[in-house]
Amino acid sequence: MADRAEFLEKVRHRTQRGRYKPTHAPDVAWTPKDEPPREDPRIEDPPARFLQELEALGGHGKRVTNLGEVREYVLSLARGREAKLLVRWDVPELEELGADGPLEEAGVEVAVWRGLEDFREVAGKADIGLSTAEWAIAETGTLVLEGGRGKGRSVTLLPPTYVAVVPVEKILRTVPEAIEKYAAGYAAGGAAGLPANVCLHTGPSRSGDIEMSLFVGMHGPGDVHVLLMG
Amino acid sequence: METRKPTRRRETEDRRPEGLVSPVEGFNERARRAVRDGDLHDSVELFTNKSVAGRNAVLNALPEAPGLRERAYHIKQETMANLDRYLGQMADAVEGRGGNVFFADTGEDVVRYIGDLARRKGAKVLTKSKSMATEEIELNRRLEEDYADLDLEIVETDLGEWIAQLAGDTPSHIVGPILHMNRRRIADVLSGVAGEELPPDVEALGSFARRRLREKFLTADIGITGANFGVAETGTIATVTNEGNGRLVTSVPPVHVVVMGIEKLVPRFEDLSVFVRLLARSGTGQKLTVYTNFVTGPRAPGEIDGAEEFHLILMDNGRSELLGTEFEEALYCIRCGACLNVCPVYRQTGGHAYGSTYSGPIGAVITPLLKGGKEAKDLPHASSLCGACWEACPVGIPLHDLLLKLRNKQVREGVAGKAQGLAFKGFENTMKNPALYKISGKAGRLARKPLAKAGAKDGIPKTLPGPLGAWTNGRDLPELAPKPFRELWKEGI
Ligand code: SF4
Repeated sequence: MADRAEFLEKVRHRTQRGRYKPTHAPDVAWTPKDEPPREDPRIEDPPARFLQELEALGGHGKRVTNLGEVREYVLSLARGREAKLLVRWDVPELEELGADGPLEEAGVEVAVWRGLEDFREVAGKADIGLSTAEWAIAETGTLVLEGGRGKGRSVTLLPPTYVAVVPVEKILRTVPEAIEKYAAGYAAGGAAGLPANVCLHTGPSRSGDIEMSLFVGMHGPGDVHVLLMG
Repeated sequence: METRKPTRRRETEDRRPEGLVSPVEGFNERARRAVRDGDLHDSVELFTNKSVAGRNAVLNALPEAPGLRERAYHIKQETMANLDRYLGQMADAVEGRGGNVFFADTGEDVVRYIGDLARRKGAKVLTKSKSMATEEIELNRRLEEDYADLDLEIVETDLGEWIAQLAGDTPSHIVGPILHMNRRRIADVLSGVAGEELPPDVEALGSFARRRLREKFLTADIGITGANFGVAETGTIATVTNEGNGRLVTSVPPVHVVVMGIEKLVPRFEDLSVFVRLLARSGTGQKLTVYTNFVTGPRAPGEIDGAEEFHLILMDNGRSELLGTEFEEALYCIRCGACLNVCPVYRQTGGHAYGSTYSGPIGAVITPLLKGGKEAKDLPHASSLCGACWEACPVGIPLHDLLLKLRNKQVREGVAGKAQGLAFKGFENTMKNPALYKISGKAGRLARKPLAKAGAKDGIPKTLPGPLGAWTNGRDLPELAPKPFRELWKEGI
């Protein structure tokens, strides 16, 4: 068992004993290329790029203009998947969506992520998970999911079908932009600026462990839908 | 057919305190067998070729890749130079978020900590997300043996790791743990667990695994993960998985334990943007791994899921010995597996020949350093010094150079590693035969360009392996070895 002070002292001692200084700057091996890059770093149309990337990963994306369309999409998806239970985040945007009533009418029970006695029971049984996302990243087709009150991590993870609704204003261009948000959040607000969980979720869950053949929907949802609104 | 794997660890009586008991000794013998195993060869070739092609494509598409690589190297250099400070900062940050921090000198310390925690919690089921650090210390076996009275069920949840666990096998690649098994073998293993015959079909096997592991995710008392990166500034742990098991293991069980090698630190949160991109692109040929998950401490007030209790174990287990030495750069590794995929030796022998958790070039470097030079004395010779590993490495670790230094060290210390010349007849023939060493597609074409020039100059065979040149368009390869490859090879290196 190591005591913190001793442990760190040992490490400090070892970092300082060395006359050795690594000298192999790696620049010789990966020289920049002359040919024009194939990924457009400017990303002219972020929503279009997001949808394109998501589709390439086997996800489904759609641009919609109003809440009515979102409701329709979720309803028809629930019918198509013969869903019995949908679990959703407890956030104002999804209250406003007003899909709970129509879903219940269609025979789909709706569980809201609040005051749950056993969340495993609910999220583990649900056929569909529904959430918003803090950001979306155009370059990679990624959703940036934050944990927090009402925002269950399991909602986006346990049901086989997962739907996220994201306003187009929330689309960032690149991965560094998204990470920078939290770096800046932490710099400004300390722990309050960085939620206990942030997940960059990119397309359907998958595994290639069996002979490198793609298996979709390994442990997380294999059926991923993102609606870009606006 | 099943891969001929090294004899099981249990045979070794000597349980070294680090938990490193697998039979590293005997590389040459195992390699000789592996080289003749046709099925193994096909599996390794499929995996490495696909990985290399995917990785070249996404890295070539990222214009800033060379810059990122350089930044990665310098960030790691800075981290190691101030590792004590960053470790202290990380510990403070985690405690500030209500997490627990434990400093472990050895693998033994890690086993004790987790075993005692399991006892305190009355835990029965432990789910694990793939972690090389826990493989290194053989955590599962030791918990089961040393805490036999707790009757723990420890479940690997990465599909490949789970199958390896069920088969009593060890991972043969950092990224593709069971690449050495074909689907018939996998169907055999899973059929045994299912109690019925499962067809050798990816859909059927994957669905069965999903159902079975889902029960475990939902009932686990403790979730154990490694860390791909730990952020000193914020106390954040980054894990990347495509299957989602990393996120499940950290979200569902009430307790989350992280076993992190002390070299996994990066100083700042923004550094993650360098590393998660390099790791995904180099390791699996993706722009981003499906679940790139950042966990900072236990769940916040008001949250319903996420672990209530968070434990970070910072594990040394021999790592700090390398600090400030000529081998320090070996600690910069982000375990992407790229060097394995391009290594002419790994491509012929697969991972089990190395007899260590870490195989390929990085394994040949890190195993003797962590385990002691004697036992692993042949490993520094398991290399052709062609430099493909260095080229492939997204952090720019000069692996071939470290291997040479290790050989020098052996000479200084009077440890005689076996020359591999004789052990590798079959391998050598392959190296000489261009048709056997073709890498498909663009990588292959690019590879031949600079090497052809080098070959004309130094007499290096034109068929040198690896996708060299995919990043070095129009450049000659730097002089890597003091002698041309073929001469070294003749001398048995
Ligand atoms: S040494 Fe480099 S290439 Fe090899 S696994 Fe580590 S980071 Fe990847």
